[in-house]
Amino acid sequence: MNREPFFRRKTSLSYKTEEQTVLRGYNLSDIAEKGYSFSDALFVLFQDRIPTENEAKMLNYEMGVFIEHSMSPSAVSATGVAMGRPNLPATVAASVSTFGGVHGPGAAHGYMMNKYLDRAYDEGKSIDEVGKLLVDEYTDNEQPVMGMGQPQHIDSDPRAYPIHLKQEELGVGGVYLELQRAVEKYFHARRKKEGRSYVGVNVVGSGNTALCDIGFAPNAAWCIGSVCRGFSCAAHALFNMKKGRAWGASRSEPMVQVLDLSMIKYIGPADRKVPKQEERQEYAMKQKEEGEYKKWVI
Amino acid sequence: MGDAKDKTGIGNLDSPDLPFDYGKREYGTVPLDHGNRAPFQWVSEVSYKNVHRIVVRGYDTTELMEEGYGVPDVLFVIYQSRIPLEEESKLLDYVMIMALEDGLSAPAAISRIVAQSKTFLTQAAGASILAFGHAYGAYVAFGARLKTYLEEGKKEGKSLAEVAELIVRENLDDEALGVSELMLKDPAAKRMIARAEKLGLAGEYIALTKEITKAAQKISSKPVDLDMLGATGATMMDLGFTPEAIWGIMACTRAIAAGAHFIEEVERVPYSRTGQMLTPREDYDGPEDREVPDLGDRAKNAKSAQTKTVDEWKKAFDERKLVYGSGYSIMEETEDPSEKTGIKKVGRYAPQHQNI
Repeated sequence: MNREPFFRRKTSLSYKTEEQTVLRGYNLSDIAEKGYSFSDALFVLFQDRIPTENEAKMLNYEMGVFIEHSMSPSAVSATGVAMGRPNLPATVAASVSTFGGVHGPGAAHGYMMNKYLDRAYDEGKSIDEVGKLLVDEYTDNEQPVMGMGQPQHIDSDPRAYPIHLKQEELGVGGVYLELQRAVEKYFHARRKKEGRSYVGVNVVGSGNTALCDIGFAPNAAWCIGSVCRGFSCAAHALFNMKKGRAWGASRSEPMVQVLDLSMIKYIGPADRKVPKQEERQEYAMKQKEEGEYKKWVI
Repeated sequence: MGDAKDKTGIGNLDSPDLPFDYGKREYGTVPLDHGNRAPFQWVSEVSYKNVHRIVVRGYDTTELMEEGYGVPDVLFVIYQSRIPLEEESKLLDYVMIMALEDGLSAPAAISRIVAQSKTFLTQAAGASILAFGHAYGAYVAFGARLKTYLEEGKKEGKSLAEVAELIVRENLDDEALGVSELMLKDPAAKRMIARAEKLGLAGEYIALTKEITKAAQKISSKPVDLDMLGATGATMMDLGFTPEAIWGIMACTRAIAAGAHFIEEVERVPYSRTGQMLTPREDYDGPEDREVPDLGDRAKNAKSAQTKTVDEWKKAFDERKLVYGSGYSIMEETEDPSEKTGIKKVGRYAPQHQNI
């Protein structure tokens, strides 16, 4: 049996021999045998260190509240992919891939925090000052402040504030929590002053703050959060596969299905005749000249 | 078919062989179904949320964590709708640690390849999950087999040893047996089983898997032992997870480490540009380099694929099997054993291609 790797890489993460799998120097089986938790193992993986007990608790808490979020883009995509009845991993892969600039943008939040902490360091400002600076600069530039607002949980994400409190309770708050708190304070104050509605902190704003304070880099934190969601999305996909209808368009179901033809609302160009080939050049030239098509270009 | 005024005059669309009159097809979308059926809603028995709560299987997720439950506990809630015993939670934690990392195997390799294209981490982590199939990460194939044989065996009054021997005799070289030559020197798989036994959680799947190991060691011509697929699959099934759930949980667990591989690849290896990678001539064993014929000579050089008799078809089929990449040497021999998923078949059957 060929046991050669697909390609060779210098790696500081792990190696695997016939005798053992080693993660950052620790035999993986020994980590499990000695009673460390999965959360502990993630610190070893990403940070090359055994965490304090409270750090591991914090990570466990953050992952636990983030795993399930009912019908979000991730679960909807897993369910949508499941309708075609592929192998299960395709549904989970799709769900994890939904995490981008809007759905759980953990890395973006982390990079934003690091940028402003850097400015505090370089410009000799306090964390409170750069918190205000961050809010003002993002708001003045009409950019959304990462970590604030959730379209469904309009009174603040129910997971978010308890994460802050848990971070404080466990004593694992650091510069990131201080900055995030400052951001929230100035964000709320500015919106109030401008007569705008209340927008609460979301789970990225609080969860990613906690992950940053316990040492995870922005992309590592993003990885943990977004992949964690895959655990529940697999369940959503399985629910559809085992108890739902394939394709999602059956007309015999008592409820209109998501892919029922009536679900389509078309707002594109009006119905029009396909031009004959002999008219094609003239037709196409006219279309280009008139330029009406440009408003449909995406 | 319709009147002359309904003729489309387009290609074959006025053919009487068509199932309906193409000249009379309506434009416009289908109106909403008012009154006859309930409007669409996302139906789920897994979870719901409102403005202030996220609820999984009836439990508020924030309350679960505030009560001190852990990630493994939540996975039991999601997949099994129950709070696990502390021992069960500990054992799942153990299994997830063991599933986290596997060196530069397929998920990590895929993640690193995607990373080279300068993408979001989530694309690479997502892609790594696609590596889980019916050979690598074959949890559904392993679990479904155990369930099927065990159920049949019980009906027929067979002992576990007899069921195990049947499994081995019918599947000895299958990638999803759970017993192989992979872990002859690494005790990790056996340690997992020992842990399950120590926690009092070993059930019939672990018992059956141990019997399978014994049977395989008796029947196989080469040294074999329990491997990680067998240990993980049996332990997870004794924890009450379905084969499909195990597949999902294990793939996601590994994807977290695949994310770390993504990060390291970005940190240590330059991005790869379009057209950058060369494929060495010495690795090529296709047709010799040849002149592209002039388009005007197409008729002289073209070969038609149509066959008119079964004999011709068989001959052409066998010839096409020799063309790597054509797909003719792949036989649909293995069903996706997942419960209620699409019956996708994969495999290969041309003996001459066994070493592809």
